[in-house]
Amino acid sequence: MEELKKALFALVAGAVTVWTFLVPDAPMFNAPEFARMFFWHFPCPIMLTGLIAAGAWSSYRALAGGSAREVWDLRAVAAFELGLIYLVLTMGTGMLFSKYQWGAFWSWDPRQTSFLIAMLMYGAYFAVRSAFADPEKRAANAAAYMLATLLPQLFLIYVYPRLPSVMSLHPSSTIMGGQLHGGYLYVMLANMAVVGVLTVWLYRLRVRAGLLLLEPYGNLEDRRRPAGPRVVRRSVPLPHEGGADR
Amino acid sequence: MNPQGRWSREVVAVLRKELRTEWRTKTGLMTGGLYGVCLVLTVVFALINRNVNYFYKATGDHPLQDVCASLIWSIVLFASLLSLPRAFLAEEENGTADLLRLMARPHAVFWGKTLFNLFQTWIGGLLLGGLFVAAVGLDVRHPWLFVLCLLAGGAAVAGAVTLCGAIVAQAANRTALAGAIAIPLLWPLLQWGVAGLQSAIGTGLLRDGISAATGMVCYAVVGLVVGPYLYAAVWKS
Repeated sequence: MEELKKALFALVAGAVTVWTFLVPDAPMFNAPEFARMFFWHFPCPIMLTGLIAAGAWSSYRALAGGSAREVWDLRAVAAFELGLIYLVLTMGTGMLFSKYQWGAFWSWDPRQTSFLIAMLMYGAYFAVRSAFADPEKRAANAAAYMLATLLPQLFLIYVYPRLPSVMSLHPSSTIMGGQLHGGYLYVMLANMAVVGVLTVWLYRLRVRAGLLLLEPYGNLEDRRRPAGPRVVRRSVPLPHEGGADR
Repeated sequence: MNPQGRWSREVVAVLRKELRTEWRTKTGLMTGGLYGVCLVLTVVFALINRNVNYFYKATGDHPLQDVCASLIWSIVLFASLLSLPRAFLAEEENGTADLLRLMARPHAVFWGKTLFNLFQTWIGGLLLGGLFVAAVGLDVRHPWLFVLCLLAGGAAVAGAVTLCGAIVAQAANRTALAGAIAIPLLWPLLQWGVAGLQSAIGTGLLRDGISAATGMVCYAVVGLVVGPYLYAAVWKS
């Protein structure tokens, strides 16, 4: 069943990717055929929003303590690791688009700058994590830092670029103003669904992998060892096996 | 005894401890103050032999006019990043953090240390800002906005940097890490701070400066309200 699901997902993802090339070029752009980058650029910050929310909630639960602190911390890490990937993808696709549309990879546009700063916050989060050897302290302190950065992150990504006094090259009315219609709208929605499923899948995979590492080594060893009598392994051969007699 | 009264007494006790320690060691003054003065002097080196006062008065066009708001905030911020996290880092280094945990509640400890850092930032910010203005011969068009921006920004810096110092107090490379993780947290504040000082100096609209100062006040309030709760949660671990 799992294999069938994966095959089905790969088929749908492939079909949507082909569909992105079937819609007509966007004539209002400097490079009309390159407007398709939007299909891959736009879902990234949307997924990032969901991951910020998931990470913040997990951080809150990790900070609250309790027996499941390590599990909530693991969920927070999974969300922020994936979030960092989507931040890089948002900036990467945005820079490519920027080169064709505005003539330069980097224009110090408020949105570009705010995503760069958000990336620095993620970097600082992982720096805090790496500074603590004790898992309990690592979970609590990293969660506190991420909750402290939550408001600045939301401000930088969603409020600052939309302030009336801030001039941005980014159009803010493409989606909300209903400028996206016809084939572009359907392809964008389909692509969003594909990226959404991929995100949930990757998140669950990361959490499962982390949970396996969290389990006590004894449990893992028991699971790996085949059924049968336990054998004590010695690195030094015994006298009757040809080793030195003491 | 009224628990509210005990809480405020704990805050005052922590604050007095910090003031007394600073009076004895002068660590904040020596690190942050000296660093800030050196930065101001470094900026002034760019103006030597430029006869700033003569040409500025004649043309009204100061060579640092467009960047001085950023320079002032760089000086105030980096001087603060050197001195403020020490409030918590010093407890761990001296081995007195556990004693403090026994004697006071986390909210009181955070508030006591934040109040101390607040005074330190306000005094340092106003002195360094004033020194910068005097040293480069800048004409501040709206002094009240200049002072308001430094006070509001200083409060936000004190809240954020104190929290970051508390978070990394038990970390391996805490001294370097405290400043590094505080900077991303302060970016929105710096954006407002630069806009506010630009308006105060006269290179921006007064309306934008007032809204920037309002933003900084809100940022400071949120930081000072949320900080103790986050610190209390970290304190338990």
